[in-house]
Amino acid sequence: MKLYTRPLYAPDTSIGKPRDPSMTTTATTPKFVARDVKVHYGDKQALHGIDIDILDKSVTAFIGPSGCGKSTFLRCLNRMNDTIPSARVDGTILLDGEDLNDRKVDPVVLRARVGMVFQKPNPFPKTIYENVAYGPKIHGLATSKEEMDHIVESSLKKASLWNEVSDRLHQQGTGLSGGQQQRLVIARAIAVGPEVILMDEPCSALDPIATAKIEELIDELRQQFCIVIVTHSMAQAARVSQKTAFFHLGNLVEVGNTEDIFTNPKDQRTQDYITGRFG
Amino acid sequence: MTGYLFLALIVFSVASFMFGRSLARRKAAAQGVRAHSLPAFSGWFVAIWSFIPAAVVLLVLVIFGARLENAIVQSDVPAAVQQLPELNQGLFFQDVRAIANGGTPSTTVYDGELKAAFDHKVAQARSVDSTINLGAYVLTAVLALAGGLLAYTRISPQFRARNSVERWVSVFLVACSVVAILTTLGIILSLLWESLRFFQSVSPLDFLFGTHWSPQIAMRADQVGSSGGFGAVPLFIGTFLIMLIAMCVAAPVGLFSAIYLSEYATPFMRAWIKPVLEILAGVPTVVYGFFAALVVGPSFREFFNWLGAFMPGTPMGEYLMNVQNQMALVAGVVMGIMLIPFVSSLSDDIINSVPQSLRDGSLAMGATRSETIKKVVLPAALPGISGAMLLAVSRAIGETMIVTMAAGLQAKTTLNPLDTVTTVTVQIVTLLTGDQEFDSPKTLAAFGLGLTLFIVTLALNLIAQRIVQKYQEQYD
Repeated sequence: MKLYTRPLYAPDTSIGKPRDPSMTTTATTPKFVARDVKVHYGDKQALHGIDIDILDKSVTAFIGPSGCGKSTFLRCLNRMNDTIPSARVDGTILLDGEDLNDRKVDPVVLRARVGMVFQKPNPFPKTIYENVAYGPKIHGLATSKEEMDHIVESSLKKASLWNEVSDRLHQQGTGLSGGQQQRLVIARAIAVGPEVILMDEPCSALDPIATAKIEELIDELRQQFCIVIVTHSMAQAARVSQKTAFFHLGNLVEVGNTEDIFTNPKDQRTQDYITGRFG
Repeated sequence: MTGYLFLALIVFSVASFMFGRSLARRKAAAQGVRAHSLPAFSGWFVAIWSFIPAAVVLLVLVIFGARLENAIVQSDVPAAVQQLPELNQGLFFQDVRAIANGGTPSTTVYDGELKAAFDHKVAQARSVDSTINLGAYVLTAVLALAGGLLAYTRISPQFRARNSVERWVSVFLVACSVVAILTTLGIILSLLWESLRFFQSVSPLDFLFGTHWSPQIAMRADQVGSSGGFGAVPLFIGTFLIMLIAMCVAAPVGLFSAIYLSEYATPFMRAWIKPVLEILAGVPTVVYGFFAALVVGPSFREFFNWLGAFMPGTPMGEYLMNVQNQMALVAGVVMGIMLIPFVSSLSDDIINSVPQSLRDGSLAMGATRSETIKKVVLPAALPGISGAMLLAVSRAIGETMIVTMAAGLQAKTTLNPLDTVTTVTVQIVTLLTGDQEFDSPKTLAAFGLGLTLFIVTLALNLIAQRIVQKYQEQYD
């Protein structure tokens, strides 16, 4: 197995170009390999040793009751827990074979590879164009205006937003509807050319129609990206994901093919949760 | 005496509270029902009715009693006094009041007919005084008793004392806010009135656009430098210059420390720095003032003199060698230091109200912390921060103590920070300190300056508040 698909400390220059075929991975290659991941917030332990492989080119859903640690684990995958002063992360998480908690890894470069979409749509108070161009600009991905226009357009297209906003790219991003804002945020994450997109309950603030659009989008995006989604809706996990992991009280109870988890769970706690007995 | 009367009224009200409460209890017990209101509310009801009408009348008598007395005493002026000049008539009645109420009379000696008139008036003043006092006692006692009794008779288990007390509470709160509003109105009106008197003798155009400020009025026509000049432009420029220097210090230092505090500081550092900044905010401005005058001024002067010594013979060197303690730079820098905690705590609040989700969004795309601050947090917080800066400007313009002690008194039209300038506030202080007569343009000029200052700071505050408010609504 190739250890470094792309060094974590080099800028990405592959935006908009087809990927190097030698880097092509299938839906059976693990993108993340996590072993014995423990997280403490101050004195409180939030995760008690998580072991999981997350596959590339597929959607993995994290489900579980509130406070079970699924969002905490998601935030470990791009080191967003670094921004919380009291958080401490132990254990190893390999991204393409490379330990992302290694001291040599620059979290800034890591986060360009592992993008994230949050619960509440959080477009910056800038125009739609500037929102999408924000990441490419700070990473110096475009050398000319044309190149930037191209990145913005292709990112918006990938996020299925282009048709709705192409005539008002220079209006405020905050003026869009909730569902459009969430797709704008996804386009913003795509624009940096990530390999992974983490989604923390991306539909919990949206109405059913906007939710359906996002789910459709997730299904398209999995052709290109490794997607990890935290969701409270078991129906959503069943609809969009190929793999499902069930978290409970800071433990990973069960992980497997989504079909198996929902039809034939091995653990009693999973059974209880998906049949609605708690959570 | 009214003090004792007031005390007695309070004692009486406390007693009526007890009576009211116990009556409510007894009546409820006798009828065997649960009263609408708790017994304490009935107590409060009786106490309020015993206290408030009597207290209001007492207050009116305290405020207007002396005037009533004067009006009665002066209503008929004795023939002997009528022959005196008007000024001496006033003096006569002042002495009458002083003797009657145990004050210090003037040294004027009254004899003959005047003596008789004087004694007569003193006696009249005393009798009027005692009548008013007696009236106050009787009226207070009657009102307190009547109010208390009336309220007492209304108490029953069915009576809604709770609602009635609630109404009085709201009346009390309204009264308190009315006091604040009336005081503000009074200040504005007196400022306007006195300014109008000033502008009758000095044209507003000369005042606002004139460049010569020397607010002296000649005692005699042939006096040297007798022509007063009331052109306030040098003061405005001095104020502006010092404000500009102060903001050059306060804006960057305050803003950057706010950014550090809200974005970078660990909770431990924050726990130390915040209180220190608050101590800085708590230093009285007069302390900053003598700090400026005694420490900063001399050391700046020495520094510039030392600098000038490197350029002997040149005009620049000569100038620097002769720089004085009192200069705009010193006042401005010290005022800037005074404003740092103000700017920093306001900006800190505003930066903190930028939602965390925006920061997360930026960080999650691989932006560094400073990129996030520069490109997301600060642009989002900009309207609020500019509002905070305007508030700081308005404080810098109104600040008095530091400039009085460190800026100087000479009104010069200059933008040279090493020169001595004077500000609007400093001139108000110098115009009004000491013994002043309140009818010459010299003292009235202070009101003109005060009005100008008031209008400018009011406008700045309104604009700033509007901006900050708009900004906060955006993220609610």
